[in-house]
Amino acid sequence: MLETIEQTRQQFLSELSQADSLEKLEQVRISYLARSGKIPALFEGLKSVSAAEKPILGKSLNELRGFAQAQFDAKKADLEHTAKPKAASLDLTLPGRPRPVGTKHPVMQTMEEMKRIFVSMGFSVAYGPEIESDYYNFGALNFPPDHPARDMQDTFFVSKDVLLRTHTSPVQIRVMEKQKPPVRVIMPGRVYRNEAVSARSLVMFHQIEGLYVDKGVTFSQLKGTLVSFAKQFYGSSLKYRFRPSFFPFTEPSAEMDITCYICSGKGCRVCKHSGWLEIVGSGMVHPNVLKNVGYDPEKYTGFAFGFGVERPTILRLAIDDIRLLYENDVRFLKQF
Amino acid sequence: MKISHSWLRKYVDFKLTPQQMVDGLTMLGLEVESFEDLAKKYDRFVVGEVVERAKHPNADRLTLCKVNTGKEIQEIVCGAPNVAAGQKVAVALVGATIPHDQHDPEGNPFVLGRATIRGIQSNGMICSAFELGLGEDASGITVLDPDAKPGTPLSAYLGQTDIIYEIGITPNRADCLSHIGVAREVGLLSGRKVRMPGVKLKESKVASSKHATIVLEDKHGCPRYSARILRNVKIQPSPKWLQDLLTSVGVRPINNVVDVTNYVLMETGHPLHAFDYDKLSGHTIVVKRAQEGTRFTTLDGKARTLNGETLMICDAERPVAVAGVMGGGNSEISDATTNVLIESAYFDPRSIRKTSKLLGLSTEASYRFERGADIGITAYAVDRAAGMIQELTGAEVLKGVLDAYPRRRKPASVRLRVSRTNQILGTSLSQNEIKGLLSRLEFRSAAVGRDSLTVRIPTFRVDCSQEIDLIEEVARVHGYNDIETKTLSSIDFSRAVFSDRAETDIRNYCSNAGFNEMVANSLQDEATAALAGLPTVKMLNPVSIDMSTMRASLIPGALQIVRHNRNHGNKHLRLFELGKVYSVGEAGSADPLEQFHEEDRLLIVMSGKPVTAGTGVTPRETDILDLKGEVEALLSKVCLDKYRFIYYDTRSALTDSTISIEINGVEAGFLGRVKGELARKFDIDEHVFVCELTLEGISKGMEGERKYVQLPKFPSVTRDLAFVVDVAVTQLSLEQAIRESGKPLLASVILFDEYSDEKLGAGKKSLAYALEFQSPDHTLNDREIDQVIGRVVEAARTKCGAVLRG
Repeated sequence: MLETIEQTRQQFLSELSQADSLEKLEQVRISYLARSGKIPALFEGLKSVSAAEKPILGKSLNELRGFAQAQFDAKKADLEHTAKPKAASLDLTLPGRPRPVGTKHPVMQTMEEMKRIFVSMGFSVAYGPEIESDYYNFGALNFPPDHPARDMQDTFFVSKDVLLRTHTSPVQIRVMEKQKPPVRVIMPGRVYRNEAVSARSLVMFHQIEGLYVDKGVTFSQLKGTLVSFAKQFYGSSLKYRFRPSFFPFTEPSAEMDITCYICSGKGCRVCKHSGWLEIVGSGMVHPNVLKNVGYDPEKYTGFAFGFGVERPTILRLAIDDIRLLYENDVRFLKQF
Repeated sequence: MKISHSWLRKYVDFKLTPQQMVDGLTMLGLEVESFEDLAKKYDRFVVGEVVERAKHPNADRLTLCKVNTGKEIQEIVCGAPNVAAGQKVAVALVGATIPHDQHDPEGNPFVLGRATIRGIQSNGMICSAFELGLGEDASGITVLDPDAKPGTPLSAYLGQTDIIYEIGITPNRADCLSHIGVAREVGLLSGRKVRMPGVKLKESKVASSKHATIVLEDKHGCPRYSARILRNVKIQPSPKWLQDLLTSVGVRPINNVVDVTNYVLMETGHPLHAFDYDKLSGHTIVVKRAQEGTRFTTLDGKARTLNGETLMICDAERPVAVAGVMGGGNSEISDATTNVLIESAYFDPRSIRKTSKLLGLSTEASYRFERGADIGITAYAVDRAAGMIQELTGAEVLKGVLDAYPRRRKPASVRLRVSRTNQILGTSLSQNEIKGLLSRLEFRSAAVGRDSLTVRIPTFRVDCSQEIDLIEEVARVHGYNDIETKTLSSIDFSRAVFSDRAETDIRNYCSNAGFNEMVANSLQDEATAALAGLPTVKMLNPVSIDMSTMRASLIPGALQIVRHNRNHGNKHLRLFELGKVYSVGEAGSADPLEQFHEEDRLLIVMSGKPVTAGTGVTPRETDILDLKGEVEALLSKVCLDKYRFIYYDTRSALTDSTISIEINGVEAGFLGRVKGELARKFDIDEHVFVCELTLEGISKGMEGERKYVQLPKFPSVTRDLAFVVDVAVTQLSLEQAIRESGKPLLASVILFDEYSDEKLGAGKKSLAYALEFQSPDHTLNDREIDQVIGRVVEAARTKCGAVLRG
């Protein structure tokens, strides 16, 4: 008999746990607790047991009935709570009270990320004017007067000797003029080129320039610094290459390419089917530039580099028209 | 520039695939931007014969042609007016990639499909020269030679089986603006030697020196002038191989003499010019500067005005060419020419650059002279050309090169230190290794001591004149990727790293506070920039009138953005920008930059509804207090209590209801509502609220440390007081009266209600405040508080005429 009580208890619990609606729960109640249920049936069975067993079995049966009733009540409350909220006025599916959600401009996000990485490598941040003199933008950077290198720069002029800087490189000169080595800075900012605006080019855009001058700075370290940056910015598995290039203010000059992350190097429209993306122009600071700021090029060497900001931004976000960046349509801005 | 694979093979034996060429040259600094396999370009293009031409049954302007494409007769719909039966034509078969789409404004390529045109299926396309990428003519189909064989692949018919590389040559590598120059780099890649083409020349007995004179009046502008005279030249079109070769690298064939000079240009990189000898008065060449204001008609038929700096080639009487840039119409080769003088000179790069800029004229010749030609090969180049013309035409070449070269230049020698090389590159190359690397570039060097080399620079390497130039060459030949990649293990962090905290903090705050960051163009049209009411910075050479002037305030540009957004249905705007404004002051000092000013600013813009509809949200329009609240929150966050609003004497060109903002006692900006007439200029018919602050002001406010203030030990007591005052009395004056009179127990005053209605009476309003009282040393009792309230009520009455409301 005791075994039967225990079995009934187990069966009850099992059926109760499977009851996932009030209807099913009612079925459980009927089959165990109602007048014709299994538990009252067991009480009926008490009549036929010996007097010695009766008190023990009676106690067990009473416990079972109390337990079953309590379990049933708890389950019922639980199911009722789930089925409908307590008050009709509190519909939890209502939207939360609206709060405006702000965003940072995608170009600024890229800029902040680039700055963060270089600051973590010990670079300070410096700024310079956008309205710049011919000397700082060209002359001090070893662009000889009338040199064809200036063909590479389509410049806005404000007056004969004053222009909108075409790159952030003039800030290198301003920093070095003010400070003795070691110099370790990045120089973010807006730059301007007198070009037709298209889906691929803008008149105004952003660069981040970098400069490190000290005793014993080498091309080898230039590579190390840029690779370390690129791994943090583009992912540690990237493949890269350095190839010779030309800038009047660095020598040797180098472009760093990474495997095109759009096509994984297979060749696509973005990388002009080369499999490579050019990410940064760089080089060892030209001795003439060091002389122009009063540094001894025999004592100090350095490297410089310049990143574009817009291009990695549009590639990262899969934006197909660079002009969208500066239309400032909030439907666009809110996406990032 | 365009470089032909097969042409390179004339000078160097190499077995490199196009892809190996692309990678190899790029890694040497000659960036191959693309390459074109001409045989592949005309895949599925064949010679066809128009067998029959009939009108298209459903279109007046179209014809339906039956075209024999070798294997079969195809029906092709054609729209060209000049198509006729019997013609041999270029046919693109289905699947061909047409190089230029005539109907696309940018002429992009497209893949030809099987098309049904006005109900008739067309199984190909008869192409125009434009569509084939063979010329600009798009007016009709291109007609091929009558003896072309139908079915012949078009590339075979055109002789186009070459591979053409498009190489971006950096300005320092003037030596690579030719096939021989690029061949040297290919030699470096493949380890093969470069062969200079030989000169085959039979000179006559007549000495050229008796038939022409060269006078260098300007030896600085022209340090060397070499020339050859050829007689009995028959001017005619060049043979097809020469025409095809020139065409393949983008040079238009003209006649045999001009084509040979262009061939030698593309071969050696040295620009030549051919004169009609008989048109040179006095058979004399004089190199000198032009007379200021001289008018001269160049080969392209344009009359140009020269200045006193322009270097000219003249005969005994008049100018005949702009030196190094373009020849003159008065002495050019014509069909009637029989005698020719070929010029092969070296001109000073700066002089040519100035002239090219002055005339706005850049030619293959000027491009090379500007970057630096090879003074050592003028005689070789002219011999090479004379030999070729003789071979093509049987012309007589007079004896001797006329070679005016008054100061022979010695090849430069540069000292290169091994230690310096390793100091710059971070390598550990030995003297011998460096010597070996340089020898691969035809740089001969001799050891001087243990650490140095004396390096002889070939005359074609005009970019190498300093030690650092040679270090770059060492790195290039060694291979940039073979230089070890080291991290900056030696970085010293003892110096403070300066970051731009203010900008970052403000950007973080504003974006977290629900504002969207915009970045506007700092270049605007003049009228928009002028709205700021300040002297503006203008471009001398704007790219367009829309971007001619620099912004003097962030507000007008933001209004353009508000307009753009409203036009696109975005009416509820919360925007901010961190950017510069620019202005110009009085000129005067020696420093030309001193009169220009740049200032970093923050702009906050609100328009439309502050929050859009939602449960329990009553939609309403933004008002100035919304903006004021946002600005207070921002400034409290970043500037603590160092800011102050100024309500009097506030005028702004752009806003009304203006409140000035001081930070640390210095004016830092303002907030207000954009004037209605200004907003309407931008087609905005809704209120726009703006706040413009200087970043400097905010950063000054951010300086200094925050210090802990003791938390109160005893409980505070709050009492509410409502006053009725005249409408003209400001809340601020009443609040100040309360604060002053409540000292020292009054800890805070918060306005919680403001209204006016009929019951209060006309011209009256009610202001209700919650006053919090607290003492640092004991719990306040009612009597103490009542005393303070008595003082407060009295002060409110005497200072503001306020009556306590029952």
